Formats: sequence, structure tokens, C-alpha cells
Amino acid sequence: MQRLSRFIMLALGAGVLLFASSYPATQASADDTIKIAVMNDQSKVYADLDGQGGVSAVRMAVQDYGGAVLGKSIKVLSVDHQNDPALASTKAHELFESLGASVIIGLPTSSVSLAVSAVGAADHKLVIVVGGATDDLTMSKCNKYTFHYGYDTYALAQNTGKRVTEAGGKRWYMITANYAFGESMLRNFTAAVQQAGGSVIHNDYVPLGNTDFSTYLLQAQAMRPDVIGLMNAGGDTINSMKQINEFGLQKRGIKVGVGLLFDSDVSSLGPDYWNGATITIGSYWNLDDKTRAFADRYKAKTGKRPTWIQIADYSAAYQYLDAVNRAKSIDANAVVKALEGYHFEDLFARHAYIRAQDHLLIHDMYVADVKPASAVTIPWDFFKIVKTVPGEQAYRPLSQVTCKM
Amino acid sequence: MDLSLLALQLFNGLVSGAFYALLSLGLAIIFGMMRIVNFAHGAMYMLGAFGAYMAAQYLHLPFWGALIIAPLAVGLLGMAFERTLIRRLTSLDPLYNLLLTFGLTLVIEEGMKQFFGMQGTPYSVPSQLQGAVNLGVTFYPTYRLFIIVFSALVCLAVWLAIERTPLGAKIRAATENPPLVQAFGINTSRLATLTFGFGVALAALAGVLAAPTTSVTPAMGSDIIITTFAVVVIGGMGSIGGSIITGFIVGLVAAIGAMVYPPVANTGVFILMALVLLVRPAGLFGVLERRSI
Amino acid sequence: MIARTLRMSGGIGIWLAVVWLALGLALPWLVFPRLAADIVIWALFAVALDLLLGYAGLLSFGHAMFWGASSYLCGILIVRAHWSFVPAVLGGILAAVIIAAIVGAVSIRRQGIYFAMITLAFAQLVFFFANQFKDFTGAENGLQGVPRPWLFGLPVNDDRAFYYIALAFAVLGVAFALRVVHSPFGQVLTAIRENEPRAISLGYASNLYKFGAFVLSAALSGLAGSLYVIAHGFTSLDTVQWQTSGQVVIMTVLGGMGTIFGPMFGAALYLLINDRLSTLTNSPGFVMGALFIVVVSLFRRGIVGELIHLFTRKKPAA
Repeated sequence: MQRLSRFIMLALGAGVLLFASSYPATQASADDTIKIAVMNDQSKVYADLDGQGGVSAVRMAVQDYGGAVLGKSIKVLSVDHQNDPALASTKAHELFESLGASVIIGLPTSSVSLAVSAVGAADHKLVIVVGGATDDLTMSKCNKYTFHYGYDTYALAQNTGKRVTEAGGKRWYMITANYAFGESMLRNFTAAVQQAGGSVIHNDYVPLGNTDFSTYLLQAQAMRPDVIGLMNAGGDTINSMKQINEFGLQKRGIKVGVGLLFDSDVSSLGPDYWNGATITIGSYWNLDDKTRAFADRYKAKTGKRPTWIQIADYSAAYQYLDAVNRAKSIDANAVVKALEGYHFEDLFARHAYIRAQDHLLIHDMYVADVKPASAVTIPWDFFKIVKTVPGEQAYRPLSQVTCKM
Repeated sequence: MDLSLLALQLFNGLVSGAFYALLSLGLAIIFGMMRIVNFAHGAMYMLGAFGAYMAAQYLHLPFWGALIIAPLAVGLLGMAFERTLIRRLTSLDPLYNLLLTFGLTLVIEEGMKQFFGMQGTPYSVPSQLQGAVNLGVTFYPTYRLFIIVFSALVCLAVWLAIERTPLGAKIRAATENPPLVQAFGINTSRLATLTFGFGVALAALAGVLAAPTTSVTPAMGSDIIITTFAVVVIGGMGSIGGSIITGFIVGLVAAIGAMVYPPVANTGVFILMALVLLVRPAGLFGVLERRSI
Repeated sequence: MIARTLRMSGGIGIWLAVVWLALGLALPWLVFPRLAADIVIWALFAVALDLLLGYAGLLSFGHAMFWGASSYLCGILIVRAHWSFVPAVLGGILAAVIIAAIVGAVSIRRQGIYFAMITLAFAQLVFFFANQFKDFTGAENGLQGVPRPWLFGLPVNDDRAFYYIALAFAVLGVAFALRVVHSPFGQVLTAIRENEPRAISLGYASNLYKFGAFVLSAALSGLAGSLYVIAHGFTSLDTVQWQTSGQVVIMTVLGGMGTIFGPMFGAALYLLINDRLSTLTNSPGFVMGALFIVVVSLFRRGIVGELIHLFTRKKPAA
């Protein structure tokens, strides 16, 4: 009997060998197609603000560009990084080294964007971070092959933080997601608040994905700040806001400074929960005719309106293809040169250029209020643009850039 | 120490305790009756919360209607699972049903993710329960008080039903000696199905209660099931009353621990479990399983 | 040790070893080398679990604590203390063994289900500690930038070269597991699994044997975890989460508990399917979960186990 059982295991081993050999290990043909990889969170807390919708936006960009560049057809690969830097790093290597991707776009979740940025630097391939926010990408961790496209924690802090402080929110109580993004937000917001004459009286580090904020909110209530600053995003922000409402903190005169907000977040809770919060965004689907046209096509394709990150994904992919065309090559070094210092204007990036020193996309940002539900006459029309901030004012000035490539 | 802060935390502790109690009660009933560790209990809780959302969206039912419909629907679903999948493995080592329900959890969760996305769906506190109550020392959200009172009543009702009614007696007897109970003409297999359905209905009820205060996401079950297991280990798996009391106690202790050191809110349960195991290996109210010869 | 194991397996056993070894040697040419390394490392992890589940009959739902803790300690030793390959791996194994000794001491006396839940809960504690010591583990950011250590004074940066190193360690680990299984210790374990009261009445201190199996299983898991962090240059909180414990249980049960080769097959199958599916569908988890349910309900012995059973069961007398 033992002989027979061992024979079976032997046969199975051979079977696995055959199965594995049918598996295309290296997808050659890096020559006849250009592959754009979109990597983001498709299954966890940030899945709705970017996720599959971001992939759709990139596909639309490819289609709008004509589906081909330099005579080669373009293929879009979609990868779920599940907010895990280790997984993302492995997948990034696989995308660059064996699947022939020439660029990775997307990467919300700052810790993941940092990890993949490092992979891009090691493999000499382009990484365009659209969703990830940390300003480390253009400061301490900058490198030649990474571009920060869309927004960053500095811009959020300078616009939202300063505005709320100047409006009377002097004493801030911070609730911070305990990872790279939260830390960067805290650092930048603290600086912005202090510059505006305010102070941070306390900070709580909260695990990413935490659902119960009651302990932190109760403590905040006891300390009587002017503002509770939410240095988190996506599902965490939603949960915080839900419970802030539950405890009636705003009725007791405590304002809420929402660090980062997307259209999907508002949809998830309903506009009235946000009580007219003031936020900084990079774009908006209902901004003007250009964005509306895109949003209509996006809606026909996906059934939803795009979040402003998804609009940014579209723009990033389109501009990448255009840069490849200008450089007449997909070689990363050439494309980098084509992007650096490039001035352009598209539906997402207005009065925009890519700063050569740190690879940061400088473009108009918008200060917006969340409308009350009664004012939302068109579905998904949650934001009211209050002010347009030119890129030069919104982003970190060149004099403060410490990046050395 | 700020008295109002302490009072608030104690109430918070009772709220999380209420959820632990409801969930571990359901688990204890299922385990006691069928020797099954229902790993999918958290998924049922999540389905209950989504049930409330869907009842509001599609049936335009308010919270109070959802409180009845959702547990009923999930209970029926649970009974279906029991008849088709779980029953096959009941005669085997209970480990198999643990594995099966683990697989069920994955499938249910992933399935819900496909339909609803990850970020959660909105569900608000019913209008009758909005606002806060002045408790003297402090204000506390009305809805959270409701959770505490309602859960306590439900737990009490279930406990009474099991300990003091004829049906409860049948269930307890069937737990101890199924063949004998069958000999009396009682359909133990139907009893098992109903018990399982009831147990998961309790989980779904907890889910409906949770929907207004927590984010309703497909992952909400996974977050809570692990902690619930620890609660059950602390209380001792067979005891119905024990699971209720332990649930509330654990909630309180974790909340107070969180005042001293916030991360303890999530993990205090496991530390407590380790301590209890050192002192009382059977759990606070449990009896050490006797090995069958 | 390897020679003795092979001898004990008889003629076909040697062929078995040859084919699987050939498979192991060819793997990085068939699939992406990093994926191949992952397969081999997870296969080792699954074998470690099988030692406990299939032979001692104890289901641990917290094995991620060994895998994760060892990956963290090994990684930290490399990054901070600049230890080289083998000492760092040994450090990782030590971490796993220490945790197993502590957890085992408290929980080994409990039976089946209780044991599973207790290991689950302890794994959560390990997760908590990993999250707390942010300065060492990086917490949510993960332990990043772990350079590949030198092995016996030589760099191992090439992915394929590293794969063979990992394969060598895995072969050692599996051979060790086989040795344990076929030893007197292993046979007592099987006796305990099949009928514990009888084993006790024969004079065997069953708890001690189970404890031994637990620690050995942890040590092998620790080896796998250390290899993991060296392979990836990273480790993260993912490695100590209960979903990872669940994953290795799926691999072991899918392949077939109690067969050593089954879990390896299960690990390879799981990773290959997952990899294929994640480009095709959005939800490899759904498919894996459904597959798992089918296997647990219908093919309880696992794929390898069922096949063995199919071909080796005695035909009833006519």
C-alpha cells in the first residue's frame, strides 16, 4: 500500500511539473505591446476611492489616446496591492521584470507608494504615484523614476489646515492613522496650523482600519479643542465622522478638520454627516464642461461618477503616453526627460507643469465645501468649489525642496 | 480622574460588551447544541448589518422593521447552510465544521465585497433614538444606551427561554444526550437546524444594532469574530449564562484598560484571555471537557 | 538523515524524492523565480503545520504567529545587527520556538476546538505586540528595506540563485519533518492522535509529546518565516494576521493532512491558482474559499489524500 501511495505522490509531482510548465513565466513580446500597470487597493479600505474605477479611467485614457503609441498597441494591467507594501513590492518587481510593464500608475496608500517607488528606482522603471499622499515621495525619499501626480500632504495641510485655523480653529486635537500617510499628514498639518497661529494640543495614533473611535473622541471631548483634525482617509475618515456625529461633538462647538476627502467618502455616509466640511481637492467632476464630459463618459462605462483621484488617474495615463510619444521611446530615462519641466493643460491638471527638481506635478488645487444634502440636486454633486488656489501657492515652494536625485 | 470621562468609558464598555454578549451567546448556543464552532458567526453579523441597509434601500423599512426582518432572513439562510453543508460533517471531528465555516466566511465576505465594495454603506441612527441623554455626570448618545438595554433584554429573554421553558429543556437535553432525546420522539435533527438558525439570527440582530454606529463593510465580521472567540474562551464554551456575563465584563474591562492605554481597547480581550487561561484553564464559567473513552 | 529517510521509504520512495527534487530544481525556470521561491517557502510552512495537524491531530489557527514573528526577528537582525544569513535564520527560528514554548505551556492541555481558538487568540496577541513596537517592526509601514544577507561569505542577490538556497533549506526542513514522522516520536504522536486515552494508559505522557510536536512545528514555521523575509526584503503585519493562519490551514487541508507531500502540493496549487486568478478575476478569495468548502465537505482527505485513498483502499471480498 505504501508503494502505491508513494507512486501517487510521484505522479502528482509530475503533474505539478506539467501544470507549472504550461504557465507562462516570462511574457516576452515587450517589443510589440506597451504595458501600463495600474496598481491600487481593490479589496480593502481604499477600494472605492480609486480601485477598479481607477483602472477604468486609465483604460479610457488609453482609448482616447488612440490605443497605440509609437506604433505599438497598449495594454493595461490591473493589480490589487491590498494596502500591503510587501505584496506590492513583489508584484511591482514581477510587473517590471517579467510582465514587461514600463510604468506603474496609481498607488494610493502612502506606505505602498514608498515601497513601489523604491522598486522603480531599483529596476529603472517609471512609477507615477497618483493616490498616495505622503510628501516624502518628493522630499526625503525622492528618486529619479518617481513622479508625484495629483496632490500631497503638504498641499492638503497648507490649504485646509491654514484655512480652518484662520477661521477660528486655534486648538487642534489630532486623530492620526498610524502609518506613513498619517505621519506625513500630522507633520504637515502641525506645521501649517502653527504657521497660522494655532497649536496642536494632543495627538492620538490610531491603527489603520480601526472602526471604533469612541475612546479617542471621548478624550477629545474632555480636552475641549476648537478642532478635531482627522489625519486619516477613506474608511477611517468615514468611521470617525460617523461617530463624531453620534456623540454630537459638532453641536458642542467643536469643528472638524477633514484632512483628506473623496467623493466616494461622502457618498458612503451621506452629505449631511459631513456638516459642510471644508476640504482641499485636486479636481472635481462637476468643475466645468471638460470634466463633465469626461464624467458622463465615465458614468456610461461604470455607472458612477469619478472621484477626483480617478480623474487624476486618467490624466496621468494620458500624459504618460504623450511623454512616451515626445521621447520617441519607452526607455524610462528618456520618458523622465520628456516629463521634467513639461507645461500642459488637461481636464485634471490646470496651469500645470511637472517640476524637474522633485518630479512634483504643480497644478491648480481647489478649496471646497461639502454641500448639505438639500443642495445636492444632481446625484453625486457633493462639492461646492469655494476657491481656486494656483499651484505655485498650493504646493511646497522650490526654496523648501530638499530632494536630491 | 475625570468622573465624567470614566462614566463615559464605562458606558462605552457596556456597549461593546453588549455586542460581545450577543455574539458569544449565539456561538455558545450553537456550540452547546451541536458541538460546532461557527467561524461564520462574524459573517452572519455582517449580513445582518447589510440586511438592515438593504431593508432600508429596497424595502423602505425603517430600523425597527429591519430589527425583525434581517435576523429572520439570516436565520433562514443559516438553516439552509446547516441542512446542506454543515450537517454532513456533524458526525465527524468538530474540527471539520470549524474549517467548513471558515471557508464559508471567506466566500460570504468576498461575495459581499463584489456587490458592495469595501467602503461601507450609509445607515443612520433611527430618528426616535437620535441625540443624547443627560445622565447627570455626562451626556451619552441615546442610541448607544438603547443598544445596552435592548441587548441585555434579549440576552435575558434567551437565557430564560433556555433555562426555564420546556423547549429550552429539550434543547439542553439534546445537548447532553441526543440519542436518548430522540428516543423520546423529539426530532433532534430539526432541533439542531432550528438552533443553528436561531444562533445566527442572534448574530444578525447584533449586526442590525451595529449598523447605525459602525461602518457597514464586508470586513466588519472578521474584525469582531476573533475577539468573540476570545470572549468565549474566557467564559467557557458551554455556558449560556456565562457567555452573556463574560461578554459584558470583557467589554467593561477592555474599555477601562483603554483609558489607561488606548491600544488596549482592541487587544485587552486577548491579554485577559491569556491571564484567565493561566488561572482557570476551563474559562470563568466552564467545565473542562472530559475526554471520551 | 536524508539517506536514512530515503532508505526507509523503499524503492519507490527514492523515485518520489527524485521527481519532487527535479520539480524543485526546475521550478524557477517554469514560473517567475520570486513566485517559485514563495511556493517553496509556503510549502515548508504547510509541512510544518501538517506535522501538528496531520500527525499530532492538533489544529492550530494561529500559526501565523510563528511565521510572522520569525520573519520580523530575522529581518530585524539583518537590518539592525547586520547578521548574516544562517545566524539570522537561526534567530528567527528561536523566536518561533520561544513563542511556542510559552503558548504551548498554557494551551496544550486543551482539546481540539479549544486549542484552535486559543492559538488564534494568542496569534492576535503577537499581532498586537508587532503593531506596538513600531520602532522595530515599522508597524503598519512594515519592515522594509531588508538587504539580502550574505550566505557563507557570498552574496545571493540573483533571484534564481536565491531560489536554490531557499530550496535547499526547504528540502532540509521537509526531510527533517519526514524523519520526525517516521521516528518513534512520530509514531507515538500518531497513536495519540488516533486514541489518546489508550496512549496514556500505555504510559505515554501525551501532553509532553503534543508539546514537542507543537514546538517542532513552530521551529519549521520559523525557518519558513525567516526565509520569507530574506526572499522579499520585507515583512509586514500581514504575516501575523489570522488570515495568514487561515491561508496555511487551507493549503494543508487542500493538499491533504497527514501526508507531508499533500500540503506541499496544496501550497503550490494555492499560490499558482491565486496568481493566475488575480489577473483574471477580482476575487481569488472567493474561488479559493469555494474550493476549500468543496474539499472540506467532499474530499476530506485533501486532494493528495483522496487520490491515495482511492488507489490504495482494499477492495471488499467478493
